[in-house]
Amino acid sequence: MNRCINVLRHLVCWALLGLTALPQARAALVPWSALAGKTVLFVTGGANAPQPNDDTLVARHLRELGLRVHTVDARVSPSAAHGAALIVISSTADARVLGNKFADSSVPIFTWNTFDYPNLGMTGPVLHRDFDVIDPVQHYADSFSVLYGFGANVTSEISRAVGLRPQLFGTLYLEPQTAGWGDPGPGGTVITDFFGSRHDAGVFTYEREATLADGHTAPARRVGFYLGSDNFHLLTAVYGPAARDPNLRRWAIGLKLFDAALRWAASPPPPEPKYDPRALDAALHRAARGRKVLYVERVNGGEGRRSDAHIVAHLRRLGFTVTVADQTAPQRIARGMDLIIISGTCSKWKLANKYVDVPVPLISLEGLLSDALHFSGRDRYVDYGEHGELLESVDPPENYLDIVGAWSPMAAGLKPGLVKFTEHPGVLKWAWPLPDATVIATLPNEPREDAIFGYPKGARMADGFIAPARRALLPLDNPSYDQMTPQGKALFDAVVLWTLGR
Amino acid sequence: MRMTGRLTALTVGLLLLSAQWPAVAGGGFPFQRERRIRLPAAGPVHALLFDPQTREIYAAQGRRLEVYALSGARLAVQRRLAGTVSALARNGAGEIVAAVRAPAQLVFLSARTLTVEHRRVLDTGPPTALLYDRGADMLFLESRPNGSIVRVDPATGRPLGRVQLGGALGQMAGNGRGTLYVADATRDALQVIDARTMRDDGSIGLRRCRAPSGLAMDPIGRRLFVGCTNGRALIVDADLGFTFVRLPIPGGPQLRAAFAFHPWGAQGWKGGAFFAGSEAVAAIQMQAFVRYRDHGQLPLPTRCTALALAAPAGELWIALAPPPGGRAVLWALGADRSEGE
Repeated sequence: MNRCINVLRHLVCWALLGLTALPQARAALVPWSALAGKTVLFVTGGANAPQPNDDTLVARHLRELGLRVHTVDARVSPSAAHGAALIVISSTADARVLGNKFADSSVPIFTWNTFDYPNLGMTGPVLHRDFDVIDPVQHYADSFSVLYGFGANVTSEISRAVGLRPQLFGTLYLEPQTAGWGDPGPGGTVITDFFGSRHDAGVFTYEREATLADGHTAPARRVGFYLGSDNFHLLTAVYGPAARDPNLRRWAIGLKLFDAALRWAASPPPPEPKYDPRALDAALHRAARGRKVLYVERVNGGEGRRSDAHIVAHLRRLGFTVTVADQTAPQRIARGMDLIIISGTCSKWKLANKYVDVPVPLISLEGLLSDALHFSGRDRYVDYGEHGELLESVDPPENYLDIVGAWSPMAAGLKPGLVKFTEHPGVLKWAWPLPDATVIATLPNEPREDAIFGYPKGARMADGFIAPARRALLPLDNPSYDQMTPQGKALFDAVVLWTLGR
Repeated sequence: MRMTGRLTALTVGLLLLSAQWPAVAGGGFPFQRERRIRLPAAGPVHALLFDPQTREIYAAQGRRLEVYALSGARLAVQRRLAGTVSALARNGAGEIVAAVRAPAQLVFLSARTLTVEHRRVLDTGPPTALLYDRGADMLFLESRPNGSIVRVDPATGRPLGRVQLGGALGQMAGNGRGTLYVADATRDALQVIDARTMRDDGSIGLRRCRAPSGLAMDPIGRRLFVGCTNGRALIVDADLGFTFVRLPIPGGPQLRAAFAFHPWGAQGWKGGAFFAGSEAVAAIQMQAFVRYRDHGQLPLPTRCTALALAAPAGELWIALAPPPGGRAVLWALGADRSEGE
């Protein structure tokens, strides 16, 4: 009996150790109480602000949230932000006067100054293409469209705080209003969008160290919000008996979104991951104990055979119990598994739709499965594709990746920018996932061709599919594993570790 | 009906037409004063009520209930009741329902002759306001001293349900579908009542509105017009509880609010809300269901004690409190045609 209890205790201990080793999808927002008394530098148009505007209301709201508000105008020196927990930039401030003075600020920024987005590197510089302001006079018809946002991302901290769902919601109250949108860069996260297009993000964010639209990395958190100068008071909310109706409550979330985005911006970011392959290896060892991996491959699959064997050996060395299955094996073999890895040797035709809806974390090493797995849309060479495949690709072989989500544990602590993934140029697959995915790396010079990304459980994937467990893409063509650089192997391990998490 | 010669002389003699007086409208206020009636008795007018054809208006002053023809502002009928009349309503049968404060009772009168048809003694405290919700065919009786609202049978006055809210209650408004809203000056909120069960359904908080007292409703657009003591009118979406417009109005306690579509005909405004307080009456123009604008104020010489708006006739009537040593006055305001709305 005592022996049984000891064994059980031992197992529980290892399970807990394993769990603590697994990265969470996102860090939690700090409570408002933790932000009480923090200083906000509120940058407005001051005496030159267009009238009417809601800057006074916003300042009052910030104070009601417990923040100390220091209101300045656009001519303020960037040094005024020293000591502040957050810079809030109103659209009443003249973007031409603001220039890029806060672009390098290590203070988080929450802004609804759409014309200032390019100055901060949050979008490209071209009006109407990279960002725009919908004005109810100039764009009367469009101004009705921006009364409704879409919950593009339902798993970010902001989305969770708001209870955002993959559905429409009311942004500004009924009357056509001024609202801005931006098309964020490769490291950006679209929270809500307009017009059914993720390029027209109403709310978008950059985590610290995420790659901005101008190629720089965000020195601190950044949030773009759709608000106009005089419509803060029209951000939707429900009060009284209506607040008990869940449908109304989920529809009228403009103010809640504002508050959650503001709180996210002011919350401390997760600690910067350090590139430490040994520590990563140790963490994977802890996480692997007692866990089962289903490795799906084309058994005896030609050129990828050695790579598959080496991947399986690596997983076993880490402590995973690995079951190797042929691509034609029935899906039921996935029962009881902790992780499924689909090899690049698999044929899309033979694998068919297997493992798509299995509530087990899954990594695809084959980018061309992206449509079938709902990682991306279905338009080959537009929504997903490959570089370096003779005859099937117009793009040359590649062996570098561009790290755009360095903040994520999936990036293995690698710094933003180019990283050598494999020793020699070869085939690299990519896909363009939906906004709920966290993008870690793109192909170089192709900010829309994402090579490594992950969907958290519950994320909105393509075709309205909701991720039944974590999903990740890591582009390892058939023989590539054996050619991976140490950085590439670290990325492999980091993706495995992240995908095992909850 | 007995009408004394003295009354006739007072009422008719005090009538003045707008042509004789310069328009006193300020800041684009859309009505101008057309008639002025100085009432014969001392004491304030507690209630004004138009007849459905808007040919006459009922005024309750102390124990007196009087009917004036709009054309000429001539006193047509009067009736003296057992106690001070605090509120008036018209039920679905066309009867006038008068709430008498002491002894507390509801008196049902014929509309034309003011003949008392029947009474209902109340044990629910002194009534201070009445609201007949035509859409729901419900009659509500408010007792401010008790902080309670009673729903009564609109034909008999029999109590059907009661809700105890407490606090300082202001005007009531019904949505025509079984929900009653009440301004609550104590809690800076609107109380929401399920009128079918007379259950308190919660409250809608009114940010930056102090001691709301005036309340009117647009039952089509489902908007509530709230008058706040701190000089703000709030327009609240009744379905969402969402305040989406704040506009300046005269402040002060005991504001009166009224709303009507097309306050002077189909060619005029889409709708108008009016708030009267101790210093002025303010107009808010409805340009669309989601768009409203401040449309000026008209100064008042004394506090407004009752307000009535007759859209078909394009008339806004205001009862003014008697000045010290003076008598109450009714102002009849008509559309200011010079504005060309």
